[in-house]
Amino acid sequence: MNSSLIVVEILVALLGLGVLLADLWMPATHRRRLGWIAAGGLAVIFFVGMKDAAEVAYAFGAPGAKTGMYVQDSLGVFFKQFFLLAGILVLIMSVEYSGRFATGVSEYFSLTLFALLGMLFAAGTNDFTLMFAALELITITFVVLVSFQRDRASSIEAGVKYLILGATASAFMVFGIALVFGSAGTTNFNEIAAAQKTLASNPIFLVGLVFVLAGLSFKIAAVPFQVWAPDVYQGSPAPTTAFLAVGSKAAGIVLLLRVLYAAVPTITAQWHVLFVVIAALTILYGSLCAIPQRSVKRLMGYSSIANAGFLLLGVAALSKAGAAAMIYYIAGYLFTVLAAFTVLSVVLAQTESDDISTFNGLGQRSPMLAAVLTLSMASLAGVPPLAGFVGKFLLLKSVVPMAATHPIYLGLLAAAVVGVVISIYYYFGIIRAMYWGGKAGASEPLQTSWPIKGALLVCVVGMLWLGILPDTLVQISTPAVEVLKPELPVKVAVAP
Amino acid sequence: MPQLTDLLFYAFAGLTLLFGFLCVANPLSRNPVTSAMFLVLTIISMAGLFVLLHAFFLAAVQILVYAGAVMVLFLFVIMLLDLKEEERRKLNAIAVGLGSVAVLGLAGVLLRALIQAKPVIAAGTQPVEGSTKELGRILFQSYLLPFEILSILLLVAMVGVILLSKKELK
Repeated sequence: MNSSLIVVEILVALLGLGVLLADLWMPATHRRRLGWIAAGGLAVIFFVGMKDAAEVAYAFGAPGAKTGMYVQDSLGVFFKQFFLLAGILVLIMSVEYSGRFATGVSEYFSLTLFALLGMLFAAGTNDFTLMFAALELITITFVVLVSFQRDRASSIEAGVKYLILGATASAFMVFGIALVFGSAGTTNFNEIAAAQKTLASNPIFLVGLVFVLAGLSFKIAAVPFQVWAPDVYQGSPAPTTAFLAVGSKAAGIVLLLRVLYAAVPTITAQWHVLFVVIAALTILYGSLCAIPQRSVKRLMGYSSIANAGFLLLGVAALSKAGAAAMIYYIAGYLFTVLAAFTVLSVVLAQTESDDISTFNGLGQRSPMLAAVLTLSMASLAGVPPLAGFVGKFLLLKSVVPMAATHPIYLGLLAAAVVGVVISIYYYFGIIRAMYWGGKAGASEPLQTSWPIKGALLVCVVGMLWLGILPDTLVQISTPAVEVLKPELPVKVAVAP
Repeated sequence: MPQLTDLLFYAFAGLTLLFGFLCVANPLSRNPVTSAMFLVLTIISMAGLFVLLHAFFLAAVQILVYAGAVMVLFLFVIMLLDLKEEERRKLNAIAVGLGSVAVLGLAGVLLRALIQAKPVIAAGTQPVEGSTKELGRILFQSYLLPFEILSILLLVAMVGVILLSKKELK
């Protein structure tokens, strides 16, 4: 057993427990410092603890097995760095926002760390059992984080919805895992991949796989499992929404990549039409429903659905280029969405409503915040030279070669272009409110602390870096997906 | 000629389904205590299924923990909150229609898969006896990592429940 592979996870777990315990001795007025300590601890782990995975290594296998439940490879390391960075930025954001919590400030930091722990395990998952445990840790922690402002009815409502729908999704997933285990005799991804030629004709296995995919689709908020996203995004505290949009979605994406391309690539190739349809519907649903929204957080909920659809373009592409484009896109999404939510937390920490009109006149009140929000909205809409543009470009580019194989891919490309065009309208609605929205309710400039400025700087640099110098990340994302083995669908000869 | 274990399996499986249905949609009673009692019966029938799978320890734990401890907690909560009989709500026709379409579709997919499936025993799988020793070995060797993650999950759930149910907001 090679448990040294999970040093990062153990450190994060200890940090979470430490914050929980330190709360006992910390005077109530100083509890926000624990947030800085947690963010600092994560930063140390991020810079010191991460090692490159030179070769694929397994841990926690059954005695005598060659593989294991936990895998360390370049894909896992990429996503672990991703989650740690997201955790640092979200913690900085939540320190700023913590004034709004009536109680339990240090528990909020600690629970954020535990959710991060679940995501780190998800990044290294090589077994359906570990996948379920990691996803449950993420989901249950988020139920608490979502309903954290329990003096607000909307937060409780969001928590109840997330609890019930999340539990239903988990129930489907665990039932699916049971069917997979029953028909394959194993839950290990490598062993399933070795047996998938025979499993592909076993209907019980296929039904189990569909249920597992349903559970994962819930996590990334893809149609038809997207209903929860707008309500939960709107009701949650802003830092929770940010972590849900970035971390929880990325955990779903990395698990989806591993299940589809490491465990069952042959079946994935057979099902390519399904992924095309889901991707197209998700893009269109998210984009169209976002148009009439007035609440900014709800708008981000629909935007998150649309972005899940764009990410699924990479799955529909059935190629390493598609998978690499997905992780490029999600990296750009991290900087973009966290920049937007950092600004949102600062603005919303002062007011109760999150209507678009709250942002009226932000251009005069706080030009710096308004400029950052403008950049991130432009990046989400896919305006060059920002991260969102390159991400969308790479995803579409990966789908184009498939258009020759099946006409349905042309429909997918059309849906993606329509989605991009619609998204320009609703993202620029926020920019318009900031600069041309009329008189602001309050005119005094918003105070921003230096860590917030630092977090915003990191996000802006990230957005511009991924937009102007895409090669630097492509050189990381291309080798990262080498462990995945996508296959192309077998052409079925049609009798004349 | 079906064997006795087969008959027992169908009996326990049928009872589990029947009691499960009565737990959530009892046509005779809307009383939460009755539902809780049917949940006990569901759990006991499931323990019977575990026995048929030679998982004796799991069956005992199922009865001790779920039918015993957890159900007592359920009943405490029901009585502390003093839940009355639930009123029959008006059902939304569209929701019922869409819900039944979804349920029938799912049931159809599952049934079709079951009918098409051929019984296979995957190569290399050893039948596992459900003794405590065997279970402990599996839990702490092969499944150590998920086990430890679930312990953190329980801690998170505990912290969360205390936070969300604490009386004073200070």
